[in-house]
Amino acid sequence: MLKGVLYIFLFLLIGEVIVSLCNLPIAGNIVGMVAIFIALKTKVIKLKDVKPASDQFIKYMVLFFIPYGVGLMTFYDMLKMHWVAIVVSTVLSTILTLYVTGIVLQKFGKDE
Amino acid sequence: MSEIYQQPLFGIFITLLVFQLSQIIARKWKFVLFNPVLLSVVSIIGFLLLFNIDFEAYNVGGQYLGFLLGPTVVALGVLFYEKYEQIKLNLLPFVASVVIGGTISVLSVCLLAMLLGASEPIIRSLAPKSVTTPIALEIAKIIGGLPYIAAGIVIAVGIFGNAFGPGILRILGIRNKNAIGAALGTAAHGIGTARALDEGKLAGAYGGLAMCINGLLTALITPYLLELILPMV
Repeated sequence: MLKGVLYIFLFLLIGEVIVSLCNLPIAGNIVGMVAIFIALKTKVIKLKDVKPASDQFIKYMVLFFIPYGVGLMTFYDMLKMHWVAIVVSTVLSTILTLYVTGIVLQKFGKDE
Repeated sequence: MSEIYQQPLFGIFITLLVFQLSQIIARKWKFVLFNPVLLSVVSIIGFLLLFNIDFEAYNVGGQYLGFLLGPTVVALGVLFYEKYEQIKLNLLPFVASVVIGGTISVLSVCLLAMLLGASEPIIRSLAPKSVTTPIALEIAKIIGGLPYIAAGIVIAVGIFGNAFGPGILRILGIRNKNAIGAALGTAAHGIGTARALDEGKLAGAYGGLAMCINGLLTALITPYLLELILPMV
């Protein structure tokens, strides 16, 4: 478990270092996500070493974003002003995204 | 008494406590709006308002929990590797469906919000609405959106997709389970994927992988798409 946590923080650090060295317009943790995938694929690290830790992070992910949800309260005035645009555009766009993704895979995918 | 609010302990403790209670309620009463995240966020906001505590005081502790989203994104790379093995057969059509769906998500939400007269910071916060919260936060920060608004919208989209996604897809004629999984993961990230798991393990794998690919895709393309769209305002 501790080994897995160490690996995850190591790849987070690698991601942050790459972003700051190359001045990339992308977050360090996203680069870290790609880096750990490549490391697993090329067998530099083993799945069984990181999986116990990564499963825990994913299991409790929703807990970690609660503080950001609570932060919405500081934008009450802005939300009050724009709520119609936000709700309508979000709902329509979500339905469209669901449909387009689903229809493409249904049409061109193989059934297993 | 007010010193207690200023300690990290306060924000961390209340979040853990409320989340635990919300999970118990969500398990006991199966109702769409009894989602543990939604319940927790609403209850904590209610508590802070009731006792007149600033968000900043809560966030002294809350930010420690929020920090853990960083390593969680890296953990998604591990999930991606695991699921990747399961969908090899359908790789090309699957990736194509997520890339097309993910691009349409960003374009459609920004254009619709523009048409409806939303301000630029709002449009920038809406752009990553379909991707998993930790990635959406990073995108919002980089493109000049408001991370808190982005997070709130992402959570709401997830709950919407979880509650109504499969029903909407069936009405629109999508019956293939893999397609339902991919659509839920692309449009409604992890909260939607939780519902895809009800359709079966493979549908859940499609959802999880779609969430990872769309997160990466949206992080890469959103800055450029916005440069394309926003001059049209």
